[in-house]
Amino acid sequence: MDWEVVWESVPLIWKGAGATVSMFAWALVIGTVGALALALMRLAAAKPLQWFAIGFGWLFRGIPLLILLFFAFFALPELGILLSPFLAAVVGFSLWTAAYQAEVIRSGIIAVPPGQSEASEALGMTKAHYMRRIILPQGLRIMVPPFTGNAITLLKQTSLATLVTVPEMALLTQRIFSNNFKFVEPIFVLGMIYLAMTSVLLILSVAVERAVSLKV
Amino acid sequence: MNALVQVTGLRKSFGDNEVLKGVDFEVERGEVVAIIGPSGSGKTTMLRCINLLEQPSGGRIVVDGRVVCEEAEDGSMRFAERGDVREIREQVGMVFQRFNLFPHMTALDNITEAPKSVRGMSKEDANARALELLDSVGLSHKADAYPLQLSGGQQQRVAIARALAMEPALMLFDEVTSAVDPELAGEILLVMKRLAEQGMTMLVVTHEMSFAADVADRVLFIDHGVIVEQGQARDVLTAPQSPRTRAFLHAVLDRAPMAEDDGSTGVGEEAGFGGSDLFTEQVAADPEAGPDDG
Repeated sequence: MDWEVVWESVPLIWKGAGATVSMFAWALVIGTVGALALALMRLAAAKPLQWFAIGFGWLFRGIPLLILLFFAFFALPELGILLSPFLAAVVGFSLWTAAYQAEVIRSGIIAVPPGQSEASEALGMTKAHYMRRIILPQGLRIMVPPFTGNAITLLKQTSLATLVTVPEMALLTQRIFSNNFKFVEPIFVLGMIYLAMTSVLLILSVAVERAVSLKV
Repeated sequence: MNALVQVTGLRKSFGDNEVLKGVDFEVERGEVVAIIGPSGSGKTTMLRCINLLEQPSGGRIVVDGRVVCEEAEDGSMRFAERGDVREIREQVGMVFQRFNLFPHMTALDNITEAPKSVRGMSKEDANARALELLDSVGLSHKADAYPLQLSGGQQQRVAIARALAMEPALMLFDEVTSAVDPELAGEILLVMKRLAEQGMTMLVVTHEMSFAADVADRVLFIDHGVIVEQGQARDVLTAPQSPRTRAFLHAVLDRAPMAEDDGSTGVGEEAGFGGSDLFTEQVAADPEAGPDDG
């Protein structure tokens, strides 16, 4: 491996980090909000809400993420919806995140013992209140590890946005290939940058896990 | 004045399993009623119907003049509106077998959560009231402790304080000593006894026959979803009329013999009872308690 090429590659690839991180962040925020809504729908009494949530999960967990991106970027314009590459990618990633994190949030909620909602109800609290104050904070403990797992997957999968021409890190790496026919070094750098980013997520998740753990 | 709780023809089925088969009883204001019976007899279900943690399949329940549920002519059930249910639940405190404290909150926050959110009490008022209540159950030194840092007996006393913070007209106790070590049951029963003496209306599902004899005004014996016998506590416990009641009491008391028939039971005997100083001994024995605690 030619270390000089490695060092030259770093800034070239790093230029795409902004796109990678912002696709990730937008999709994580939008997707998580959607996931919370889906999880609550899934647990709601109203059947149509349950069906919607089940159908959403079935659809967007059952189709490859790449096809979601292709659909948003190549197919939507034919239906009159023209999205920039970045926006199309965020749409696809958000749908994917919502579908997967909804299951994480739902399982966190149902893992909280039923006595907790019974005690809340017996005290006269509204469901909206005790969900927010009693159930979700406790479910969070259970949610953090699988939630982080999905977030890490999402971060890595933002590299798929290459295929809808978002100038993120993987796309810029390929540009290096075509300029100087060096493969090993840019791929090595790209891998290391992803590894650094996912490591940050892991460290964050451990910190969050500690913060929400029960005081014994 | 009408009875605080009026239950008529209460039925409850889980699928094909009819757990309550038409139960009638009333609880007067200030009365302490103990519900005894074999496990699976429907005691707990009956209690949980009163604040609609279970939805009855038939019959009528009225609490403090408000209809909780009512069976229509055609046999369908009408339940109180959601908002009314919440108002009824404010009036009805409940203490559970497994405490059900909120494990992510301190003892103090457990107690203040509902007064703040449901009754709109200010933080200062809620905290002050919670500290009074913690003091009354002998746990003012544990205000900042988390539930998992407390013993079962302490957790259950916090749970009682939590229910009392809503200033309920009625307290439901669902086998509140069953999940704690036997030597810790006494401290819970003591709190309940004092509550009874302060005039609280209480409906107590219990296996503690001595408590029933000592504190309850009336005892209901329930078996296979029907009330087999009810009456003055001492009558039911010492001179049961029904053979089923007799058999049950025999089975229970063989293992835990009741005290002599004077009704004295060892629960909260004169010495040390009355006033929060009854817990000072225990506090002093607690290595975590500071010198000025209690």
